[in-house]
Amino acid sequence: MAQVSGRQVFAERTAVLLITIVMLLPVVWLITTAYKPSNQIFSIPPRLDFQPTLDQFRNIFGYFDVVSLLRSSVAISLGTTVLSLLLGVPSGYALARSRSRYATGFAYFFLAIRMVPAIASLIPFYLMMRDIGLLGSWWAVVIINTMLNCAFVTWMMFSYFRALPRDMEEAALTDGCTQLGAFFKVAVPAARSGIIACVLFCVMFSWNDFLYPMFLTTLDSKPLSVALLTAYGTKDITWGSLGALAHFSTIPIVLMALFLNRYFVQGATNGVQ
Amino acid sequence: MAQISFRNVFKSYEGGHTAVRDLNLDIADGEFMVLVGPSGCGKTTALRMIAGLEDISGGELLINGERANDLAPRDRNIAMVFQSYALYPHLTVADNIGFGLKVRGMSRDEIAAKVKKTAELLELTDYLERKPAKLSGGQRQRVAMGRALVRSPNAFLMDEPLSNLDARLRGQMRAEIAKLQRMSAVTTVYVTHDQVEAMTMGHRVAVMNKGALQQLDTPRNLYDHPVNLFVASFIGSPPINFFEGMVGQADGAAVVKLGSFILPLGAFGARAAAYQDRKVIVGIRPEALKLTEAAGGPGTISARTAFVEDLGATLLVQLDVEAANLVHASVAEEEDDLKAIRPRMRAMIDGVLAIAPGDVLSFSVDPGAIHLFDADTGMAL
Repeated sequence: MAQVSGRQVFAERTAVLLITIVMLLPVVWLITTAYKPSNQIFSIPPRLDFQPTLDQFRNIFGYFDVVSLLRSSVAISLGTTVLSLLLGVPSGYALARSRSRYATGFAYFFLAIRMVPAIASLIPFYLMMRDIGLLGSWWAVVIINTMLNCAFVTWMMFSYFRALPRDMEEAALTDGCTQLGAFFKVAVPAARSGIIACVLFCVMFSWNDFLYPMFLTTLDSKPLSVALLTAYGTKDITWGSLGALAHFSTIPIVLMALFLNRYFVQGATNGVQ
Repeated sequence: MAQISFRNVFKSYEGGHTAVRDLNLDIADGEFMVLVGPSGCGKTTALRMIAGLEDISGGELLINGERANDLAPRDRNIAMVFQSYALYPHLTVADNIGFGLKVRGMSRDEIAAKVKKTAELLELTDYLERKPAKLSGGQRQRVAMGRALVRSPNAFLMDEPLSNLDARLRGQMRAEIAKLQRMSAVTTVYVTHDQVEAMTMGHRVAVMNKGALQQLDTPRNLYDHPVNLFVASFIGSPPINFFEGMVGQADGAAVVKLGSFILPLGAFGARAAAYQDRKVIVGIRPEALKLTEAAGGPGTISARTAFVEDLGATLLVQLDVEAANLVHASVAEEEDDLKAIRPRMRAMIDGVLAIAPGDVLSFSVDPGAIHLFDADTGMAL
């Protein structure tokens, strides 16, 4: 490794610090807003020496059924993630191990599905869900999110499995596994870091998804992301409540990312072979 | 234990490439068979066919006399060691070794006992709880061996298992594997492109080139009696020297003329009788050239030293031969590279001799060490 001068280290650390500050400012603002008394939220310059209060949290519990919102968010993300992985991981594997010269083309076709603007599919999907009676249920959101995310998972796992040496699965075959056994016992565990990355993406996409649940859910089934919008502009519920509600919307996902990140890094550094 | 036979086996791919053509090979029970050849010669494809990892396009593969073409890999009870080792990265060494036993439903205690025994044999006991990523190359190689050994399979298949090790370790493992095979007496098919491994490890060696079997014989016979130019040039290190020659007579005895050099064929002249006054290719191994004082006489070759490589015990001398035409000892994969280089004669001589570039040296050649090949077909006379 090349020697790094003190000045270079200083420059690097300053740059990292600056970027961190820029990235964290909105988060700090969001968090502090939730604990500020309403009259101090827009004080200029922004103040950090306010008297913290839990009024905003009391407010939102008064106006919203937070538990129900959380339950909807969890159900939609969990359902989407499980279904996307169940469909996407085997599809990605099948494509990766296919000898067809069209396999790569197919994989990118799946990626393209993820890029379709959400609004384009909303209206036909809305009508479909209405006709089969799923409109207003979690299922409507889970199904459309699965459609998009599973396409993404397929593409991502295709790349992962392609990079995984076929030797390992062949070793499993000679060791006595069936093709399916080799997939579950060797290929899937070896691609664990890729699968965890897919879990992260799926949960994030569906947890933060706003457009589909906005139109496909009802008052009883709407998730946090939709509630966040309604927090703004009704009666006196404003920025402070939005900040408090955002706690419930961001903390679970940040915790999950932190928790999975450990496995993600571990999986990636374990390497192949 | 298994007996493995190829009967007119072909392997062709979509697009017309034929990896193996008309392979006929019988591997006896308990035999250590080495498949050797340059890359792309079909040796690995043949091995993978035995494992069931490659479909057979034509012909029959028999294991213990039974047709095995369509048998799934798991039903063959054959263990394979891969070039990349193909260890399972998410499992510990112990679980890697025990994987095949677990899949086959063996009890936990039995697996533990067998893994322990195998680990002791391969000196892996201290590493049983480690993941493959935390092992050295040599240790990974031993785990791959352990995974094969622990199952007591019908046959071992090894696909260049030593090619990722450094030279010293490779030498050690070479002997180790040969010893293990002799000890267990399990039929073994070993693929390599390294002719030292081919010569030292196997009972018999099958030399392959361009998908076809060239010669199947003991290492000694391959070296002493190569059937064609390819085998002669592939087996032996440093490679054999080839000259353009002409069969003729001198004083009523059969000789071969290399330009202005005349080499008597002595008792070995009979095989060249049909080639009287015809062009042949003459092969002389570098170690068959003996330094002599008697320059210019029959049975000698003189050449000017171009450069000397000191190998310690011996000197590998490369010489320019002006009075005869040298031909490249070409092996398919190197053909194009070699054409650009001027062919030189190689000789192995005693390491203590003081030889410098520019020196003119004379060599005598024992008639028994002269290999003759048909110039058109490349087949040995």
